[in-house]
Amino acid sequence: MKSVGLEWRRRWYLKRTAPGPLRDYYAGPFPAPEQDYRTVGYVAVDLETTGLDPRRDQILSLGWVVLNGPRVDLKSARHQVVRVDGAIPAQTAIIHQITDDQAAAGQDLAATLPVLLADLTGRVLIAHHAKVELGFLGQACRRLFGNGLLVRTIDTQVVARRLLDRRDVSYRGSDLRLHRLAERFNLPRYNAHNALSDALTAAELFLAQAAYRDNGKGLPLADFLC
Amino acid sequence: MEIELIEIQEFLASRPPFDQLPEEAMARLPGQLSVRYFRRGTPFPPPDAPAHCLYILRRGAVELRNRGGELVGKLAEGDLCEMPCRFADRTGLGPGSEEQAAAVDADVAVTGSTAEDTLVYEMSGDELDALRATYPAFAEHFNHSVSSRLRKALTGMLDASTSGAALMTVAAKDLLRRGPICARPDISIREAAQIMSEQRNSALLLSHDDRLVGLITDRDLRNRCIATGLPTDRPVREIMTEKVVTIDADTPGFQALIQMTRLNVHHLPVLDQGRIIGMLSTTDLTSFQSTNAVYLVGDIYRAESVDLLVDISSKVPELQVHLVNSGATANQIGQAISAVTDAITKRLLELAEAELGPPPVPYAWMVGGSQARREQSSHSDQDNALLIADEMAEDDDAYFAALAARVNDGLHACGYVYCPGEVMAKNPKWRQPLKVWSKYYNTWIKRPDPMSLMLASVFFDLRALHDPAGLYDELHDRVLKLSRSNRIFIAYMASNALKQRPPLGFFRNFVLIHGGEHDRSVDVKHRGTVPIVDLGRVYAVSLGLDEINTIDRLQAAAGSDELTRDGSASLIDAYELVGTLRMRHQAAQLRRGERANNFLKPEQLSALERGHLKDAFVLINTMQETLSQRYQTARIP
Repeated sequence: MKSVGLEWRRRWYLKRTAPGPLRDYYAGPFPAPEQDYRTVGYVAVDLETTGLDPRRDQILSLGWVVLNGPRVDLKSARHQVVRVDGAIPAQTAIIHQITDDQAAAGQDLAATLPVLLADLTGRVLIAHHAKVELGFLGQACRRLFGNGLLVRTIDTQVVARRLLDRRDVSYRGSDLRLHRLAERFNLPRYNAHNALSDALTAAELFLAQAAYRDNGKGLPLADFLC
Repeated sequence: MEIELIEIQEFLASRPPFDQLPEEAMARLPGQLSVRYFRRGTPFPPPDAPAHCLYILRRGAVELRNRGGELVGKLAEGDLCEMPCRFADRTGLGPGSEEQAAAVDADVAVTGSTAEDTLVYEMSGDELDALRATYPAFAEHFNHSVSSRLRKALTGMLDASTSGAALMTVAAKDLLRRGPICARPDISIREAAQIMSEQRNSALLLSHDDRLVGLITDRDLRNRCIATGLPTDRPVREIMTEKVVTIDADTPGFQALIQMTRLNVHHLPVLDQGRIIGMLSTTDLTSFQSTNAVYLVGDIYRAESVDLLVDISSKVPELQVHLVNSGATANQIGQAISAVTDAITKRLLELAEAELGPPPVPYAWMVGGSQARREQSSHSDQDNALLIADEMAEDDDAYFAALAARVNDGLHACGYVYCPGEVMAKNPKWRQPLKVWSKYYNTWIKRPDPMSLMLASVFFDLRALHDPAGLYDELHDRVLKLSRSNRIFIAYMASNALKQRPPLGFFRNFVLIHGGEHDRSVDVKHRGTVPIVDLGRVYAVSLGLDEINTIDRLQAAAGSDELTRDGSASLIDAYELVGTLRMRHQAAQLRRGERANNFLKPEQLSALERGHLKDAFVLINTMQETLSQRYQTARIP
């Protein structure tokens, strides 16, 4: 029922946010949970970070792509490396293949975040294991715009778990990883490992999950929300 | 577009028609697409598809069916489908006969469903039209039917080969290095020899008012004059060869070469509407490796033992490699290789007769299957039979049994292994007088059974290789009349011809990287060329054609009730394309010292070649469907 209350909270946030990108974001009504998911707009987002703690760690890069109902619009794909303060921990650099130089050449998060917020306006956020994205984006919004991020969210990992639970099959934690699920649904494999390719995979995974649940008559958005 | 979409761009860039787009258009391309996903068993196109758009299959597979529910095509990774979808229409068989036009029309409404979980890229009709308007090379892919794409692919493939390709396409008249060197036949032998010396020519044409009357060569001077002590002041007419084989000015160079190979001659006068315009000699062709065939045949006729023939025949794979390198098509290679096999067979017969003495009654040595069709590749199996004059006495068979054994064993030693089905002259069943053969055909045609239909590929592709008494002609005439009038037999034959279907779903396996349960290769002979050969045979038998070679048959059948001109041209292109890919595959294997086989793996082919092969398969399938409807083969058990 918390998703029903979300629209009310949005209006409350709207009043309490200073003019700027975040306030503009809150000015757009959230999609209604009872709306057919095929008529809703989404933004699939993936972040790469220096660690898992939003308070201590930093965002290294953002990738996102917009979905119009059951279509991923590749024209909207964005990828942005973010300038970070200090050196990137070696471990993180290896995973994300982002070097200090690249990060230094990156854009200020203050310049990137408004673009993402504009795309998110009136749309639903999709992420795989969304806790990370919500944590870091919320922290960034608080730091840059003075208020947290409230957004309707679909976590493809949660949807995957529900699908598996419903079918009463046993699975392991690793079966819920993005790339394992992508393989199961016969999605393309991208060799590059970056925020945009993972965001795109999450978007495609959502299409696949929706296709598996939808018998052709459509479903309410609420069925997918966290 | 974000640079990270580069992988999508790369996926598209290697595939026609996107390979025709310049870099800047390619870079914009991913941004013009949306991604869609359909689970297995979902209708395709989806109910919410735009009226006009293009789908590009990235993952999965789609089966397209016509109104009758028949599978008309399969989309696999990299395939395109423009909506509204008119799949069979794109084979471009066009409005040939009314019957075919109706068949095409019925196929316009294509519905499909996803055979696997499928991810597609969707491009709007407006974007597609804009690309087509800007880039003609890109647009061409859509304008062209499957058949014209095949034609283009074939031309491109042969052009790209090597310089030797010239021989395949250049006319005999363009190979001539100088005008004819002619003399009148009433000059003396000495004068003729003087002209030949001055002109540095090994042969001299003898003519009357531009009309050819004979030919002499260095060898004639030696054998018929010097060796016999004939005075050199005698007229040259006395030693000239009068029955000279000539070729027409427009004959392709390669055909001239085959002619020389078959006849074992080194000179061919070239005539333009009966007028001599020059003479082609093997030396004119020596710049082409394929000339080897002529020398090989020369060696064969000089070989005095089976052992020597075995040595010579070991060079046949090399010949095939040379021919492939010089850009020959499958049909041209088949002609050359079969000419060599013919020569070996004839020489074995001569050697056997020299040993056993002349035959007690006339006989005909008949060859069947690919040798008869002149479609052999290096070292095919042997298929042959003996037709003996009806006058044969009972104990005459001992002679023919011995003859057959020598030739069959000789061929086996030369690498033409024994026919697994025992269709060889040494098998008493296939060594019979004319009256028995007539009975055989009578039974096959009037009471077709699986066995006789299997044998049809040998005995309805039959040619007399050595038949001094013309026994075969008589049998052949009878069989043609009998089979042509027997529609039920032809329907059975048609049904049999549809047993080997091209693997429309083959490329799907290519998508299944984890597949494993599939043998990921295609037998291009049995599923590509054999179906066309079988179609050609049905057309030939039904129309009572004399032709045996598949391309000759398809050409002869063009424009008849059985086959439209377009259908014929397309089938010939498909046949040459599949056959040439097969020959190249085999040449590569032979070069690596491996045994040649017919199994092509998709990863051996470029994306472009895969596309062409698939076009060929679609076309074969369409022609088979047409045949099936015509003969209602579904009713035949």
